[in-house]
Amino acid sequence: MVVGDLAQDVELLVIGGGPGGYVAAIRAAQLGKEVVVVERERVGGVCLHQGCIPSKALIHAAKTYAGTAQAAEMGIRFGTPSFEMEAFRAWQGGIVHKLAAGVESLLRANGVTVVHGQAALLTDDRAAVETAQGMEYYRFEDCILATGSRPAVVPGFGFDGKQVLSSTDALELTEVPSSLLVIGGGYVGLELGTAFAKLGSQVTIAEREESLLPGVEPLLVQVVKKNLRKLGVSVLTGTNALRQEVVDGAVRVTLEERGLTRVHQVEKVLVTAGRRPNSEDLGLSQAGVRTNAAGHVVTDRQGRTNVRRIFAIGDLTEGPMLAHKAIRDGVTAAEAIAGLASGKDALAMPAVIFTEPEIATVGLTAAEAKERGLEVSVGKFPFAANGRALATGEGDGFCQVVAERASGVLLGVHMAGPQASNLIGEAALALEMGATVEDVHLTVHPHPTLTEVLFEAAADADGVAVHLAKRN
Amino acid sequence: MTVGFQLPDVGEGIHEAEVVRWLVEVGDTVKEFEPLVEVQTDKALVELPAPTGGQVLEIRYQPGDLARVGDVLVVIGKGEERAESRSEAGGPEASAIGRVLATPSTRKRARELGVDIRKLRGSGPAGRVTRDDVERAVQAVRPLEVLPPAVATEPERPAGMEGKAAPSPSEGEQRIPLRGLRRAVAQKMVRSAFTAPHVTAFDEVDVTELIAVRREANSLLAGRGVKLTYLPFILKALAAALRKHPYLNAHMDEDRSEIVLKREAHIGIAVDTPDGLLVPVVRHVDRKSVLELAEEIRTLSERARSRTLDAEQLRGGTFTLSNMGPIGGQFATPILNHPEAALLGVHKIEERGVVHGGEIVIRSRMNVSLSFDHRVIDGAEAVRFINELKRLLEHPNLLFLEMSAAWS
Repeated sequence: MVVGDLAQDVELLVIGGGPGGYVAAIRAAQLGKEVVVVERERVGGVCLHQGCIPSKALIHAAKTYAGTAQAAEMGIRFGTPSFEMEAFRAWQGGIVHKLAAGVESLLRANGVTVVHGQAALLTDDRAAVETAQGMEYYRFEDCILATGSRPAVVPGFGFDGKQVLSSTDALELTEVPSSLLVIGGGYVGLELGTAFAKLGSQVTIAEREESLLPGVEPLLVQVVKKNLRKLGVSVLTGTNALRQEVVDGAVRVTLEERGLTRVHQVEKVLVTAGRRPNSEDLGLSQAGVRTNAAGHVVTDRQGRTNVRRIFAIGDLTEGPMLAHKAIRDGVTAAEAIAGLASGKDALAMPAVIFTEPEIATVGLTAAEAKERGLEVSVGKFPFAANGRALATGEGDGFCQVVAERASGVLLGVHMAGPQASNLIGEAALALEMGATVEDVHLTVHPHPTLTEVLFEAAADADGVAVHLAKRN
Repeated sequence: MTVGFQLPDVGEGIHEAEVVRWLVEVGDTVKEFEPLVEVQTDKALVELPAPTGGQVLEIRYQPGDLARVGDVLVVIGKGEERAESRSEAGGPEASAIGRVLATPSTRKRARELGVDIRKLRGSGPAGRVTRDDVERAVQAVRPLEVLPPAVATEPERPAGMEGKAAPSPSEGEQRIPLRGLRRAVAQKMVRSAFTAPHVTAFDEVDVTELIAVRREANSLLAGRGVKLTYLPFILKALAAALRKHPYLNAHMDEDRSEIVLKREAHIGIAVDTPDGLLVPVVRHVDRKSVLELAEEIRTLSERARSRTLDAEQLRGGTFTLSNMGPIGGQFATPILNHPEAALLGVHKIEERGVVHGGEIVIRSRMNVSLSFDHRVIDGAEAVRFINELKRLLEHPNLLFLEMSAAWS
C-alpha cells in the first residue's frame, strides 16, 4: 500500500450489493456489525437490474399481449393489439427503480454504508475500492464476497450487444426482433425465447443436448415443449452452433446437427450458455482465497473460504446460481460472522422456470430417489382436472409428488402448470418439515384454487385421490 | 470413516473460544472421552474430550487461534480413510430415507447446542427428530464435558495456583479439579480481591412501609399472574441513588489509571446456580418500570439456572446487587464484581424491636452490606449513598418521584 493511503477500519466489508450481498449486509447490521457494502452500480444486482425482475416484467407483458387472442373465447374482443417496446421499457424501469429504492432505504435504515466502486482484495484483511473520487482502502475484520456472475460466452459468439445478445442485452432491446435464434435451451433461453415468440418474433431454439432443459424431469419438459410448438417456436435439439457471420443487419449462423450443417439467418442471436462466476478481478490470489477449476470460490457450509475472515456467497460459489440460494447464503454467512451457529442445511433448493406453462421443482425426482436406492410411490394430478385452472383458461400441466413408499415421507414435488412458481413454496415447506404425503392431503386446501393440485397429487401418492379415475 | 470434531457449545452462551493447548498430536491414537484440547472462553478454561476413539488426522486450530462454535477443531479417523470433515460432508443424512427428518428450526437448535442431529434417534413418526430429542441429547452429553461433581469436601484452592504434580487422593479427602464455571469464578475473585482495596459498610433499613407497598401492589395485581418480590423495588431505589452518587456506579480502568463513571444503570444480579455464581445484568434499570424489572429478573434468573444466558447478558454491568435474604445470615463482606466499584448485599427482612417515634415498637428491618473500591470511593461518600438508598426504601412513595427519571 502506498504511503499516505489510510485504510478505514470496518467490521464487515461486503463486496457486491446483489440479493446475496445486500441481505447479508442487513442481517449483519441487525446483529450489531458495522457494515460497508461496495457496489459497482446500483444495489440489487443482476437479479433486480438485468435478470429475475425485468425478465418477469417482459414475460408478463408478453403473456398479457398474447392473452388478448385467447380472450376472444371468453367473449372479449380487442382491436388488433400492438406492443410498444418504449412504453414497456418505461414501465419495466419503474418497477426496477421502485425495488432498488426499497433496497437502498432498507440499507439506510439499518445503518449500512454503500460505497459505489470496484473492489479488489489486497491482502487477507484489506481491500481497495476504486470509486469515482479515487481509491479508497478498507481494513476489515470480516469480508463477504458476493460479486455474482455474468453470462458465459460461447466461443465464436462474443456478444456485440446489437445483434449477438446476452440475456442482459435482450432485456434492453428497443424493438421486438423479427426473428431470433436462441443458442442454449436452458431456462434463460426458454423464458426469453417464449416471451419474444409471444410478442411476434419468429423464434428458433438450438440446444446442444438431446433435450431442452437438461437436468429437469422430462415429463415436465414435455408440457413446455408442446406449448412451444403451439407458439410456433422451432426447437432444434442435439444441435451445435458452429460459427456466425454478421451481414447487412442479419446474422448468418452455421448450425450442425448430427454431422449435417446448415445456415440459419436471423435478425438477432441470443446466446444463453449459462453463467460464469465473477471471480477474476477480485484479488482472490492476493488474499489467498481458493477457487475450483471453474472459478467458483470454495467455501464450507457457513460460507467461509479457506481464509478465516473471508466468506463467499451466491453465484460466486459452488451450487445452483439462484438468487434465493444467494439470499440464504448471505444470511448464513452474516450470522456466522456474528458468532451465531448458522449453517446451510436446507434439504432442497427449489427451482422455478418461467416458461409456458411455468415449471417448478423441489426435492428429488422419482428417478433420483430410485438411484439412491429408495422405494418410492408417485402421485400425479393434472391441472386439467382443477376447476380453477380451467376457469382461468390454463389447464396445461400437472403436479407430481414423490414419496418414500414405506413411510410416506415426501421426497420431492415437481410441477408444470399455471402459477407453478407460486405453488412450489408450500411443497418446499412440507419437505423441510419432514411431512408425509398424508400430512399434505389431510391439510385442507381451499377450493377453488390451484393449491388443490398438490393435495390431490399427495392423495394419489397415498392411493386415496377422489378426483382421479382409478388406475390399474 | 472420519469425524470432524466441532467446537461444541460450552454453555453460558459462549460463541467462540481460544485454543490454549493441545493434549494430543497428529498421529496420536485417542480413546473416546480422552481429553483432546483445552480451550478458553471468556468465562472459563474448558477441557474438551474426544467424541470418539480413533487416530488424530488433522489439527486445524493452533494455540492462540480463535474458533467459533461449530468450527472443526480436529479431524479424527476411525480406520484408514482420508480425512474428511463431517461438517463439510454435505447435508443431513441417516434414517431410513437417507436424511434427517427434522424441521428447520430443530436442525438450527441442534447446531446451536453442538448436537450432531444425524446421530440422534428421533422419537417422532417415521423417526422424526423433535426439538425435545435434541435438547435431551444435550443433557445426556453435558456430564462428559468437564463439569465437576457438585460435592466439595475441602476448601477450594485459590485460582491461578494450578496444581503442579497431581497428588493422589488419600482416604480422608476428595479432590475436585478446578474447571469450568468454578474456575472462572475463582479467577475473577482472586483478581478482584487482590486488585481493589475492599471496604464494606453495614447499615440497617426499615422496610415496614415497603412491605405494605409491595403487599398492596400484589393484591392489585392478583389475577394477572404477577408476583412482585422486593428486588425490583430495591433496583429502582438503587438506580435513583446511583444517579446522585455517580462514583458508586463506576469502573476502575487500571490500564489507563482512570475512573470511568457510567451514565447508565446496568445492574447485575448475583444468581446462585448449582455450578457456581452467575451475574446476569438487568440493563437500563432507570428506564424500566417495577413490573418490567420484575419480569426481567425472573427470566434472567431462570436462564442463569438453566445455563442458557447469552454472553451479552453477562456483560456490561455497572453495579451489582447480591440478595442473600432468602438464604440467611446477618452481614457479609462481598467481593466486588471487578471492575465495578461497588456492590450491595441485601439480607433477610426480620421483625425487630426498635425505638420508633419515642417508643419501642416492632418494625420490619433489613440489613445491607455495601462493599466498595476504596480507590474510587471514600467512606463518607459510601455512607451518603447508603443514606440516600435508605431514604428511598424507607419512604417508598418517594420512589414515585424518581419514576420518570431515565438518566439521559
